Amino acid sequence: MAAKRYLMNAGRTTKQGQQINIGKDSPEYLAIVTTIFMNVDDLKEAGITAGTDVRVRSDNGEAVFHCKEGKVPPGIIFVAYGPPTCKLMGQTTDGTGMPTSKGWEVEVEPV
Amino acid sequence: MTCTLGEVKNRADFMIYWGGNPAECHPRHFTKYSLTQKGKFTPNGRKDRTMVLVDIRETPSAKAADVFLQIRPGKDFELIGILRALIKNQRVNEAMVAETGLPLSKLEELVAMMKAARFGVIFFGMGLSMTRGKHMNSAGVLMLAAEMNAFTKFVAMPMRGHGNVTGADVVMRYTTGYPFGVNLCRGYPRFNPGEFSTVDLLVRGDNDACLVLGADPGATMPQPAIDHLARIPTITLDPKVTHTSRLSRVHITTAATGISAPGTAYRMDEIPLPLRPALKSPYPTDEEVVRRIREAVARRPAWLPERNGEMVV
Repeated sequence: MAAKRYLMNAGRTTKQGQQINIGKDSPEYLAIVTTIFMNVDDLKEAGITAGTDVRVRSDNGEAVFHCKEGKVPPGIIFVAYGPPTCKLMGQTTDGTGMPTSKGWEVEVEPV
Repeated sequence: MTCTLGEVKNRADFMIYWGGNPAECHPRHFTKYSLTQKGKFTPNGRKDRTMVLVDIRETPSAKAADVFLQIRPGKDFELIGILRALIKNQRVNEAMVAETGLPLSKLEELVAMMKAARFGVIFFGMGLSMTRGKHMNSAGVLMLAAEMNAFTKFVAMPMRGHGNVTGADVVMRYTTGYPFGVNLCRGYPRFNPGEFSTVDLLVRGDNDACLVLGADPGATMPQPAIDHLARIPTITLDPKVTHTSRLSRVHITTAATGISAPGTAYRMDEIPLPLRPALKSPYPTDEEVVRRIREAVARRPAWLPERNGEMVV
């Protein structure tokens, strides 16, 4: 059976924005951009325990994130964008000059 | 089709935030310009305004909204099309409406609210312009706002991302005629997003050098673009050491504009704001560094590509 595909959305958060201006080497920044948020039902279905590490794989690459339960609709994963999301994001711009920065289809598995 | 934030503050009694999370990403937007400010024609501030939020997830901005419409991911363009039909009392396909994840009654309510407004504004964010559909979504929203003017005053405005990206667009526009993705290789500007835009150039590996000014593509662009930056001579000008600095051949620390360097920032409604530095910096400004690089380049002998790269002394 093919693994379930989730829709991953990278966005901004206030804390991430603050950390960008403080410095991108801080452990706080690293913690923010390596944490994904999933729906509680999705976590159960995928057999992932909240607070553990997961491997996220998109058509373009893969990265390891810390997984938390969050207020997101089923089937959607939210993450604050940063260096790890660069590996997953769309690489073509569809002739617009803008890469697909949100809404990638990904697979998630526990590490 | 657009207006300044001053007009929004003084006139807008109805606003839609679409694919944006201003509570987190533009934290002063509500309080300074759009929602809670008391304006000339909105003397009661928040009470005189209605706010609708369209997003795929319930962000912290939903708390500020009167109406939150949770749309299914990737269905923005469809919803825009449906709204454009509804405002003109055209029939809509119910199956198409169901695909957006929103009931028709809600959309009809929204259209009634839009038409009842005296001054409506749609702020559209990157949830609209950076997902599937991209510029077609933005164009759809601009069309919707334009068509709403048959009923009442309506405008649309993008919620820009990083600080002063509007400034880069504005300056490129008045110097070359185009906002981004400009190629000057032939001695005159040519514009072609997808061909001359930064991400495309880097991912394809077309350029053999790169000057990065106050940006951090090393932490934001697709991985092949980052790999290419590391392959070629990259020069980064930034007040801080960034991910891009680490993969650059040269990092030049510059003064922070607005804090220790003067300059002009363009607000997202393209109003230029002069910046007065509060502090002194031991580092040169971006402008000074670029000027000195230009002067050094000008001192070099001219280069003729048609004569196989021969230097003219």
